[in-house]
Amino acid sequence: MSFVKELKKEKYFFIGSPALIWQILFFYLPLALMLASSLWEVSEAGSVTGITLKNFYKVLTKTHLFVILKSLLLSFFTAVLAFCIAYPLAHFIIFHAKKYKSLMLFFLIVPFWTNFLLHVYAWFFVLEKQGFLNNTLLTFGFIQEPIGFLNSLFAIILMMVYCYFPFMVLPIVSSLERFDNRLLEASHDLGASRIQTLTKITLPLTMPAIRAGFFLVFIPSFGEFIIPELMGGDKRYFVGNVVSQYILGNDTETIGSAFMVISALVLILSSFIIYRFFNRWSGQEAS
Amino acid sequence: MRSIVLDKIKKSYKQNLTLENVSLTIPSGGFFALLGPSGCGKTTLLRLIAGFETLDSGAIYLGNTDITDLPVNERKINIVFQNYALFPHLTVFDNVAYSLSVKGVEKDEIETRVKKLLLAFHLEKHIFCYPSELSGGQQQRVALARAIIDEPEVLLLDEPLAALDFKLREKMLVELIELQDKLKTTFIYVTHDQFEALTVADSMAIMNHEGNIEQIGTPEEIYEFPVSSFVAKFVGTTNLLGGKLEHNETGSVIHIKDLGIFKVHISDKKSWMCDGCTVSMSLRPEKIFISKKEEKGFSNGVKGIVKQIVYYGRSTQYHVLINNKVTLQVFEQNEVHFPQEEIDYEDEVYLYWQKENVVLLEE
Repeated sequence: MSFVKELKKEKYFFIGSPALIWQILFFYLPLALMLASSLWEVSEAGSVTGITLKNFYKVLTKTHLFVILKSLLLSFFTAVLAFCIAYPLAHFIIFHAKKYKSLMLFFLIVPFWTNFLLHVYAWFFVLEKQGFLNNTLLTFGFIQEPIGFLNSLFAIILMMVYCYFPFMVLPIVSSLERFDNRLLEASHDLGASRIQTLTKITLPLTMPAIRAGFFLVFIPSFGEFIIPELMGGDKRYFVGNVVSQYILGNDTETIGSAFMVISALVLILSSFIIYRFFNRWSGQEAS
Repeated sequence: MRSIVLDKIKKSYKQNLTLENVSLTIPSGGFFALLGPSGCGKTTLLRLIAGFETLDSGAIYLGNTDITDLPVNERKINIVFQNYALFPHLTVFDNVAYSLSVKGVEKDEIETRVKKLLLAFHLEKHIFCYPSELSGGQQQRVALARAIIDEPEVLLLDEPLAALDFKLREKMLVELIELQDKLKTTFIYVTHDQFEALTVADSMAIMNHEGNIEQIGTPEEIYEFPVSSFVAKFVGTTNLLGGKLEHNETGSVIHIKDLGIFKVHISDKKSWMCDGCTVSMSLRPEKIFISKKEEKGFSNGVKGIVKQIVYYGRSTQYHVLINNKVTLQVFEQNEVHFPQEEIDYEDEVYLYWQKENVVLLEE
């Protein structure tokens, strides 16, 4: 009897255990391995011979730090730009689209039912020299010569914003959808203009969603390497590209690990600072 | 303070429900109640006055100014919502200060005004609380304070007490009356609760299911002299009986099928009160005297059998069956601990009423 009781008490542990095992096997273990290998000294034969900080010395160069800084800026601006597009759009869809609301939400999501690489290639056709964008601009006489949009920072940022957009827009949409319209009416009724209502009521109350969206974009886009690789030619290096180069290179896994550890630390630190900034900006949290 | 005038307002709301041609003058500086059944359009009317909805046709005036197309935030009309709609991320202080701060009033002035008002509303201990930390009654007071701090010309109240329990509601009603007395702001109070409306209002309007205004008057006029059977039934409880009117040299009588012939008093003769016309008669239950003994001095009387007794505390309701056909409701005040006669089920009783206490209504 007591055994059954014990089991009942622990049932939540048992229910949760597959997730926990998954988490340990595929998240904590690789993380620990990465941390460990960043400290390994590897002989030419490929066996671990000792522990060293040499990998970190090799990583801490001006170029590497510049790459980390560039990635930080890229992911930060990706998140900011995604927000600047997502918020007005979500606001429009929820409050003004009326009967077209579901349709517009549907069209917002549809592109992301296709493969990620397909989006990127689709944009090739838009951006290339004989592509849609250049042709349109030429036809209307805005430009005389085709512009090389591809292989530029512009193309990278465009693609980053495009690909990470849903992670920003969906939390905001769901938070605006739950928004109590009467609060907006109350604000207008008390004499506030539309802008005042937006800054004093809507934005602060949707701040948790904005923050969630911001980090959902900011953190993964920091390590993004496919988009810079495809859209930026081979000249533009970001954290993801450097990591993939070291990990795939000969005998450089340990340096790659050290680089990952450092960039992860930078990311955690900057996220923490931004988080604090969000909290201060939105004032005290609504309980 | 200026009055609110609704001029031939038309507005469709929900499916196939419309306010058609509503005209209404709400006097300035008074406590006006708009009473009607659920879904009759009274909230829509309030939202039109506030400016949340636009009219299909007609006009709204504040005094002599046409405010039909004035945006919500430029109308000196504030509303207290049914669910209060307090800003959950702002403290009590910031909620109340909202209308002043969006207008750009100086910080010091805001602080003195808000603190003074919160003191008057007994909220000084909760200045830095968030709405979720307050009780229903406190939230209600914050919503009120927030709506009146900017001294609007008209305050709209949309069933503001619906969420409170009975005791608190009675208390808040008295507070509202006192507040209106002090501010002299025009209050427009929307409710489906006749008790609340009768309690607070200086004057009131009754809306029917179709969104038409049936009667406008003081609570006494509405209760004692309803102009239609809808008003008579909706405000208070009444016995509504149909019959045929007959005028003779001694006065007027009404023939009611299965009940008998009763004297009625006609002070203001209308065209539909003709000889032989079919009319309705409204007789309030508390205007009937019930007794087991025969009494003298009443213009009308009838004999029946008690079928149901409902004890309400301050009064008792009897359902008396007459001639095995018609049931009349009677209220009797429970004035003493030990009544002289105990009325019980199946007792034979006499019901009496004076002809002046009967209201005749158009069929």
